[in-house]
Amino acid sequence: MIGIVVVSHSHALATAAVGLAAEMVAEDNRPVIAVAAGLDEKTFGTDAMAVSEAIAAADSPDGVLVLLDLGSAVLSAELALEFVDPEVAGRVKLSSAPLVEGLVAAVVTASTGASLDAVVAEANRGLVAKQDHLGDSVETAAEAGPTDQVIEVVVGNEHGLHARPAARVVALVNSFDAVVTLTDLDTGRGPVDAGSLSMVATLNAQRGHRLEVGAGGPQAAEALAAINQLAAENFGDAPVSEPVVAASGSGLDVAIGPAVVVDAEVDLTGYTPGDAAAEHRRLENALGKASAELIHLRGTSPDHSGIFDAHLALVKDRTPLEAVSSAIQGGSPAIDAWKQTYDQLAATFEGLDDAYQRERAQDVRSVRDRVLRALTGALSNDTPPAGGILVVAELDAATAATIDASKTAGIAVRAAGTTGHGVIVARSRGIPLITGIGDVDVPNGATVAFDARTGSFEVEPDEDSVRTTITQRQAEREEALNQAAQPAITRDGQLIEVLVNVGSVQDAIDARGADGSGLVRTEVLFQDHAPTVDEQVERFRAIAAALQGKPITIRTWDIGGDKPLPFLPQDHEANPFLGERGIRVFRRRPELLRDQLQAIRHVATETPVHVMFPMVTTADEVAWALQELGPRPEGLQVGIMVEVPAAALRIDTITEGLDFVSIGTNDLTQYTTAADRTNTSVAALADGLDPAVLRLIDHVVRNAGVRVAVCGDLASDPQSAVLLAALGVHELSAVGPQVPLVKARLRQADLSEVDTAEVLAARDAAQVRGLL
Amino acid sequence: MGVENFVDWLRDAARTLHDNAAYLTELDSAIGDADHGANMDRGFAAIVALLDESTFDSVDELMKKAGMTLVSKVGGASGPLYGTFFLRFGTALAGAELTPATIGEAFKAGVGGILARGKPELGDKTMYDAWAPALEAYDAAVSGGSGLKEALEAAAEAAAKGRDATVPLVARKGRASYLGERSAGHQDPGATSTTLLLESAARTLA
Repeated sequence: MIGIVVVSHSHALATAAVGLAAEMVAEDNRPVIAVAAGLDEKTFGTDAMAVSEAIAAADSPDGVLVLLDLGSAVLSAELALEFVDPEVAGRVKLSSAPLVEGLVAAVVTASTGASLDAVVAEANRGLVAKQDHLGDSVETAAEAGPTDQVIEVVVGNEHGLHARPAARVVALVNSFDAVVTLTDLDTGRGPVDAGSLSMVATLNAQRGHRLEVGAGGPQAAEALAAINQLAAENFGDAPVSEPVVAASGSGLDVAIGPAVVVDAEVDLTGYTPGDAAAEHRRLENALGKASAELIHLRGTSPDHSGIFDAHLALVKDRTPLEAVSSAIQGGSPAIDAWKQTYDQLAATFEGLDDAYQRERAQDVRSVRDRVLRALTGALSNDTPPAGGILVVAELDAATAATIDASKTAGIAVRAAGTTGHGVIVARSRGIPLITGIGDVDVPNGATVAFDARTGSFEVEPDEDSVRTTITQRQAEREEALNQAAQPAITRDGQLIEVLVNVGSVQDAIDARGADGSGLVRTEVLFQDHAPTVDEQVERFRAIAAALQGKPITIRTWDIGGDKPLPFLPQDHEANPFLGERGIRVFRRRPELLRDQLQAIRHVATETPVHVMFPMVTTADEVAWALQELGPRPEGLQVGIMVEVPAAALRIDTITEGLDFVSIGTNDLTQYTTAADRTNTSVAALADGLDPAVLRLIDHVVRNAGVRVAVCGDLASDPQSAVLLAALGVHELSAVGPQVPLVKARLRQADLSEVDTAEVLAARDAAQVRGLL
Repeated sequence: MGVENFVDWLRDAARTLHDNAAYLTELDSAIGDADHGANMDRGFAAIVALLDESTFDSVDELMKKAGMTLVSKVGGASGPLYGTFFLRFGTALAGAELTPATIGEAFKAGVGGILARGKPELGDKTMYDAWAPALEAYDAAVSGGSGLKEALEAAAEAAAKGRDATVPLVARKGRASYLGERSAGHQDPGATSTTLLLESAARTLA
């Protein structure tokens, strides 16, 4: 591999450029890059002696490429060649390539083992991508040889074929004895030489674009196979919509293990502060570590990327950072400066009038503790020890989304409430979970067990008895899984359809025994960019195929409230849950919705598809939605979500022109009880089994005049599912891991034995549970 | 004459450049990166430090060391340019008798290094615009039978004329060339420092 020398007037410039370029290539693959820049770290200038030493350091039998900035850098580099061994000087090439772009291209190309001449050529083309982008292109595309084999791949990366994945393509291509070209079939650009970083970058292939890959030469077939594989792996980037952390929990409702008590306070004793400079450095390191953790979390749980983006923004927020910095300057240890500033910030959020803003205090505290842990060297609690039961005061979605479900025995939440985001996420991942254990004293490491079905939580339990229960439940679950594909017919002969809620193609692939999908969350499927009609068609098609062509119910964009879409910015609202949510968002700007409906109409001609509109309140909205949908292909059924109490109460006058309604029990519950499920102090009020909610469901079933489904969280709880079926709901859509269990329980149930009148007359949710 | 004259030259040049550092930087700030005075001062101060701690037996050893010091300490383009000048100047005098003719050859060799390094042409508004007439005047004086002192004085005088003639020129080399037409109307800092070096040589070498 050739060596590279960077000559610059500025030490800072050279080391930063090297850092930028080094990012492109894994460390073990990187060429030697030596720097000769500045007379010292602060003084601009070049030193021919230093350049000759750098050349000696980077020298290799394959040669040395020297990249330089201007003026004396050129003169010093030339002079340096007079100082080095003539044999070495003979294999040194001084390049006129632009320093930053040339260096990036050179490092990438060199890492593939390319010859000095090839690297020089690539460095010289360093400006092509930028010139092309800015429309002042002067160079023509590098000539690639003839190709005789062709495949087609799709760019699945979140940000398209940007620099790093492009670098992976180049490295791969150059490892074969083949000429490979890329053509972007969606833009018509190309063919370009796939062995050239600048050329691949010029393609600017975006996510979803189809690439034609051509190859010729002795190893053409091998190169194509390797590229096909790389494309299937999103060119080495973390995939976006398909969560990496797909590992799911046991799916049981009972668990035992050592308690992992997550203290609210990070232990700050034992921190020995240094001088201001040292504390600044420590803080820098801690911020870097915290950012890296958050970026990692964002990458591994894209469904919750918004949470981590918000946390990242807090880590980098200039105003509090300045306060921290000046406190450190004034002699405060970094931990105190950081804690006090972020405590204050959290207090400021808590003092705001806006409830939504008040909740951000939780984010501030989470970021505060993450950085404090980094400062004190405490372990990140993103990964609790294997086999433990996590005991937390409240369960935030970030924790629920990111803990390793296959290594966590269960989660016990002190706060009550079963509809919070964290609870929903944990349940959808099959992690055993109990809520509302209260202030029980739990020593860290003590064996604890819980059974969510009976609502028991025990410290130092009778382990044998718990293990017996677990064995029984496992057998029950295995039986349920074995029977998953069988229909759920109750003992009294009622067929209940049990479907699955999906937010990704992977969800549909993972689903076992689902009779279709009762809820396709489109806003989760496409999170980062506004998809084209074709992209949507493709994704819907993939979901239907994963469910063997069983019916899927696509919900149109459900955004607003706590679910912002980055590509459809919304005005700030004081009360977003009562603001522009769901269908309301599109009354003023229907374009995105129209695209989606076009995609849905298209897929409906190929496979059974239903469509439903979220957050409908009035009959006017239904009429508008039907009008936007327009003439529909045969078999495309139309429905609405019933989440707003007003819609539930006037169900008989709102369903004109509809084929079905689907009750979203989570929102219906929080709107009915006027209790925010994410606010721990009132979350217990937002109980889906509250008789008030059940009465609304009963009212809808009796008066809708159309098919009634439930796709809220209530349908995922086997006991509640039996009650819903008894109330007359014939279609339940549950989270993936619960589908077999819901089906199994329904098969054991005799709906005629459920006294629905007594349930509806109960005084509260607790009494309803007692009756089930 | 001997190595001590050249030590005197370098020390005198260092003083002169130090005294003129602000002036050179001012000239450079008009059409360059405002560091020529500081760079030359830093480089020659390093030479003085070298002279303070070492003794030299031969002119070529002294001048080569001085050249290497400039290469490493000046930082700007004048580092490799003057550095190369002194390196080749020293090399040319290795084992030679010190006469006006051999010293003239050494100057030519040094300027040859500047030409090789910077590839300047006359009228590019560079130090070469002072060096070229200086070499010519030196040669003419020596062939006319002048001694070293007269020849160096003639060279310095010619350099000063060349320096003054850079004022209306448009720079075609170095940082000043980025200014294009705007570089006209300013005296070239490199031609100025060259003239200072030659004036210093005339004061000290003979």
